[in-house]
Amino acid sequence: MENIKIPAEERSLEVDFDFAANTFSLSGRSFPENVPEFFGPLVDKLKEHFATQKGARIVFSFSLVYFNSPSAKYVLGLFDLLERTAEAGNEVKILWACEKDDDMQEMGEDMAEDLESATFELRFLN
Amino acid sequence: MGLEEQVLASEMFDLRDTLGQQGITFCYSGYMTEGILLGIGNAIKTQMQLGDADAKVTKGVFAVFVEQVQNVIRYSAEKIGNEDSSELRYGILTVGSKDDVPFVACGNMIETKDAERLRDSLTHIKGLDRDGLKALWKETLRGETPEGSKGAGVGFIDIARNARHGIDFDFRKVDDAYVFFTLKALL
Repeated sequence: MENIKIPAEERSLEVDFDFAANTFSLSGRSFPENVPEFFGPLVDKLKEHFATQKGARIVFSFSLVYFNSPSAKYVLGLFDLLERTAEAGNEVKILWACEKDDDMQEMGEDMAEDLESATFELRFLN
Repeated sequence: MGLEEQVLASEMFDLRDTLGQQGITFCYSGYMTEGILLGIGNAIKTQMQLGDADAKVTKGVFAVFVEQVQNVIRYSAEKIGNEDSSELRYGILTVGSKDDVPFVACGNMIETKDAERLRDSLTHIKGLDRDGLKALWKETLRGETPEGSKGAGVGFIDIARNARHGIDFDFRKVDDAYVFFTLKALL
């Protein structure tokens, strides 16, 4: 599957998906005018790819400065997808970069609460 | 100064004074567009940073501001244009700080038929504590998008989660068809 690299814009995220290396990253601010249009195709590609993975080591990094609620639906969806991928027999690590004691830290922890197979790690920027 | 100029100066000054007394630092009454959202949003961020505001509070104010303006853009019943071409929706926005509590408030027309659903939803949300809000938030994000929602259905929950000093809302009947809805978030 071809890598996906999308530069960050004022209202949408930088996307860096390396399918061969199984390293994925989303960073920046997310409040695009059309949220499903931005995330939909990305999630489809990830679902397609993860369905083929077994015994793989997957690292998904989030460095989100801000995201609106429609974006949050997709971020939580990604957490659920990563959890299912881990349950299917893969080593999945979710990295959440944020400022310590920031709202983003709380947001990441809230989303990670239900993870049992995938691991969650906070990375502090400050 | 002629009489007309004196009246104009006094009208504007009085408006400024009234806004000042309520602690309002930004006030916009008009058609809300994505451009307005970005422009005012940046101005609010800059203003709060220059005023030495707590970074966390600034982020909270910005987040609530975006949600509220997007609510007007999506749901205000007062609009010109049509869905096929371009559409402009009308609302009122105030941002400010009173007694050291920042606030963001928005007002817009809604159809009477939507008022009860909104009131029930907000009453329920207002009654939840932090954990209750968090649970409702995740439940809603994971579920089907609720009736009438153009986003993810969690806009009000998000606003409530950010509004450390609570939310207030009001529904004022305008006529048989419309109600003026106001939501104020205190951070």
